[in-house]
Amino acid sequence: MEQLLANPAVQAGIAPFFVALIVAIALSPFRLAGIAVIAAFLVGMHLLTGIQFTPLTVTRKFLILAIVAALLGPLLDFVLKPARFGAFALGAATALCSVWVLWPVLVQQPLQEAWLLGGSAFLAIAVMVGFAQARLADDAIRAGAAALALGLGAGVAAVLGASLVYGLYGVALGAGAGGYLLPQMMRGKRTAAGATFVLPAISIGGFIAVGAMALAELPWYSVLILALIPVAVGLPGPDRGPVWLQAVVFSLYGLVIAGIACVVAWPSTQP
Amino acid sequence: MKPLVVGLFVVALPLTAAAQAENYNIDPYHTYPYFEIEHLGTAMLRGRFDKTAGKFSIDRTAKTGELEVVIQTGSVTTGDNDRDGRPRTRDEHLRAPDFFNVAEFPTMVLRSTAVRFAGDNPDTIEGNLTLLGVTKPVTLRIERWRCGPDPRTQGRRFQCGGNATGSFKRSDFGMRFGIPNVGDEVRLWMSFYGFRQ
Repeated sequence: MEQLLANPAVQAGIAPFFVALIVAIALSPFRLAGIAVIAAFLVGMHLLTGIQFTPLTVTRKFLILAIVAALLGPLLDFVLKPARFGAFALGAATALCSVWVLWPVLVQQPLQEAWLLGGSAFLAIAVMVGFAQARLADDAIRAGAAALALGLGAGVAAVLGASLVYGLYGVALGAGAGGYLLPQMMRGKRTAAGATFVLPAISIGGFIAVGAMALAELPWYSVLILALIPVAVGLPGPDRGPVWLQAVVFSLYGLVIAGIACVVAWPSTQP
Repeated sequence: MKPLVVGLFVVALPLTAAAQAENYNIDPYHTYPYFEIEHLGTAMLRGRFDKTAGKFSIDRTAKTGELEVVIQTGSVTTGDNDRDGRPRTRDEHLRAPDFFNVAEFPTMVLRSTAVRFAGDNPDTIEGNLTLLGVTKPVTLRIERWRCGPDPRTQGRRFQCGGNATGSFKRSDFGMRFGIPNVGDEVRLWMSFYGFRQ
């Protein structure tokens, strides 16, 4: 069993997928299926590196923000119900938080590099979270497809940026989104997404991308391309077709953008 | 008059002892911390840090000493620094958040808390290692210690140096990625030189 749990495919793929699947099925009647994605991510992180909160590193601050996003999501859905403007304000607030998290790294960089990294992080997270909350939160299939593509795209890009850990975190997020989408595809019926799903899922994807940029060597322009995934998933598609077809097509929209981000992240020949 | 002389002697005693402490600056061109770790349950892989700075002091009369070594984590090398068609090298991976997290923690620091002597020479350094923002106690055993005039300066410069060894578990510092496939126990071996100030 110990050997099985030490396998990265189990840690980042199989275990998060099944946890998300169970949580999504169990909480779907309560409009809380979106919690599946944070559950999957936490399981993946626990198996990969363990979950710790001290000392408060960049990665651990991102973890705390992800948990806060997961707690805030149901509150937004059931109590606050933000308008579209509120969605973009939420995106900007999440982006500001990400720059604050990266601050200890930014201050050690030359000024131009710090502005480039900080600016890219702010722009990417603001676009991802703002657009996803405004346009995808009411569409569980598009939201799930965006999280799937963002998780896998940020994960592969992070590996190309020299961080296998961030890469596997991304795969765990993608697996969680897969576990959230699958019951909907099989039943042919949508579940609720809302901020409960979108806020933690897209924030985590964004944090993985900007973390791999600031702490490893993922190029800033790759992160900005990844930020377009929620926009691409919002493009017109087979909205009247079966749910499984929508899930496949919208995931492909996102994965094309993720693929481009990974291609440009491929490093040059020499370090 | 006699009490005054005794009083002056008592006051001057610590100053005399302090004067016997010799201070050394570490020679960055001959001081290298090496590490050794089990890889995939097969071979022991070795690496080293190329940039190190610091100082130490030694008081042979009081048999005490102090040491501070600051290691640039970004200078880690295991000999794999050519991508050769791969996206990243092992040295690049070691600098990522998976291991040394160089962007966030550019240095690791070894600071002594006590230096034990065996006869006239230092034998063991007890201290704290700060890595990835975590400080834990480590012990280094000095397996070789020599002092004398530096022959390159016709004896004008006095140097001390030698080798020290120790070990720690990287998981104690939060560096958990890859365990158990990449070993948890890290063995250290260090060559060090210092020039007397």
